[in-house]
Amino acid sequence: MKGWVRLQVGGFTLENQWSVEPGSIAVFFGPSGSGKTLTLRAIAGLVYPKEGRIEVDGSLVYDHDTGAWTPPHLRRVGYLPQDYLLFPHLDVAGNVAYGLEGMSRAERQERVAALAAQLRLEGMERRRVWELSGGQKQRVALARALAPRPAALLLDEPFSALDMELRRSLRGELRKLLRDSHIPIILVTHDREEALALGDTVQVMDAGRTVAQGDPVTVLGQPPTSLVARLVGVENLYQSRVTSLSPRNGTMVCSVNDTSIEVSIADVSVGDALTLGLRSRDVILATQRPAGLSARNIMEGVVVGLEARSPGVHVEVQCKGLTVRSQVTQEAAEEMGLALGKTIWVIAKAASFFLVAP
Amino acid sequence: MVRSRRQGQSNPILMVGGFATALFVLFVGLPLLALLLRALGNDGFFASLTSDVALQALKLSAFTSAVSMAVILVLGTPFAYLLARRQTLPLHIVDTLVELPIVLPPVVAGVAMLMAFGRNGIFGAALAHLGIALPFTTAAVILAQVFVSAPFYVRAAKLGFLGVDQEYEAISQTLGISPWRTFWRLTLPLSWPSLLSGAALAWARALSEFGATIMFAGNFTGRTQTMPLAILSAMESNLATALALAVMLMALSVLLLIAIALVSRAAPWEQRR
Repeated sequence: MKGWVRLQVGGFTLENQWSVEPGSIAVFFGPSGSGKTLTLRAIAGLVYPKEGRIEVDGSLVYDHDTGAWTPPHLRRVGYLPQDYLLFPHLDVAGNVAYGLEGMSRAERQERVAALAAQLRLEGMERRRVWELSGGQKQRVALARALAPRPAALLLDEPFSALDMELRRSLRGELRKLLRDSHIPIILVTHDREEALALGDTVQVMDAGRTVAQGDPVTVLGQPPTSLVARLVGVENLYQSRVTSLSPRNGTMVCSVNDTSIEVSIADVSVGDALTLGLRSRDVILATQRPAGLSARNIMEGVVVGLEARSPGVHVEVQCKGLTVRSQVTQEAAEEMGLALGKTIWVIAKAASFFLVAP
Repeated sequence: MVRSRRQGQSNPILMVGGFATALFVLFVGLPLLALLLRALGNDGFFASLTSDVALQALKLSAFTSAVSMAVILVLGTPFAYLLARRQTLPLHIVDTLVELPIVLPPVVAGVAMLMAFGRNGIFGAALAHLGIALPFTTAAVILAQVFVSAPFYVRAAKLGFLGVDQEYEAISQTLGISPWRTFWRLTLPLSWPSLLSGAALAWARALSEFGATIMFAGNFTGRTQTMPLAILSAMESNLATALALAVMLMALSVLLLIAIALVSRAAPWEQRR
């Protein structure tokens, strides 16, 4: 499944392209309003692009140049909307069987039973959809989308209606199920964890465009640009200048507002301006000056911000010349007696810093 | 509970409301009760009910209102769907005009139809040329009924279709179901209660249609004399027949009202959302 579209809705311009191999999951990652859902709708044929070319399962379903257009019901593109939209006048089995037109009754029942088994919906066939829990609704919607054997599947924030614990437990399940379907899949999310867990590739979107794409671990772990870093939520970004290189150590020293930081070496020269990224979860805090550590960066600072941010506490420490944001567990925060104005030591390995291209 | 009851006692609007309610029930109930008592008090009630005039009027009303309803359902449903799904200026204007026949005095509707389709009407001559004469025929009765009752159905159906999230229709299509099949399998079942109650209202209006009919179709026994017209004629000659027909129309109205109340409670998902 591949293609590109350009389209306008009101003042918003979407210009996006994609390419997804069968059996793999591409994640569209980005803030709301970045055009993720709109791209899905264009692929499904629910909006008419201004320009572009869309290919599904080897056949052209839209081509601006030739005027080719396949209506949504002939595209064989399954679409799972964010709020599932189960049909309220049908029970669970009726919803799953909805797309199975042109099959005999027996074939239909067989397909519904197979999907019910696969998605752990047995015994729920006669339930009304409003009686279902969030997780059950999601599985029914997925079964309904998979029933007509789509050539591609689009999932719009499939976990957004579920609580954190359920998300984690369903994720592995979904990944296996999607892999086994051997069709190209696009999954929209703004949850980094989800993107890392489910994506074979990731495409970071902002303001109607893809601003980065590639392997999720690379793109989300070490964002290539500061825009992407901000989008994927790298909490610490520093403008710095290289002051010395130490190839023997495999490190270099950079200066951030006259504070020296030792980071992993890169192919740069002394005097180069760099943007450094540091994930808040990679920052260690200590209540006393630590000794005998391998970590290269140890800075004294004062707690200037404290905020409960599930699943933990977000701490902002003002050190000399730079602010460091750290994510610690609730328990750790309590044990350390973290409070505004408390003096604290910040610890970060040289390798925890990464280079964000200027 | 206790508090709100106490508030009710001290609220003058609610007290006046209670008085007005009682007045209203008496005002509407007493005439209907009187009609029922007088009609059933007549020895010849059942004879009147099965008299030639009554039966012919009943048959004609049943036939014409059935045909009217068929026309209204077949054309009014796609019309209402279009109004619900497309917002263009011309459609918006049409949408506003749809309700005109509801507020227009039926007699005016009858005169207007005469001016259009009467022998000397704008289109009457052309129709006569084709050998079609509409006024004072059973067809005219049906046209008059469609004219006055269609808006009741179209309005309810439009609201019903508006109540069906278009996203449902989009999802249906991504599941491989064509727009045509989507309408039958999804939109129609989801808007069913609105369509049914709209149809019941329209039918009640068609059955009771009087002014436009007598203007445009006249009052000919067996041809254009529906039940309301037969009541008018019978009032002059045979009160028992008039009363019998009136009771029958009243019973039909009550039945339709009950039907509307039942279908509007029929969709279980309406209460769950």
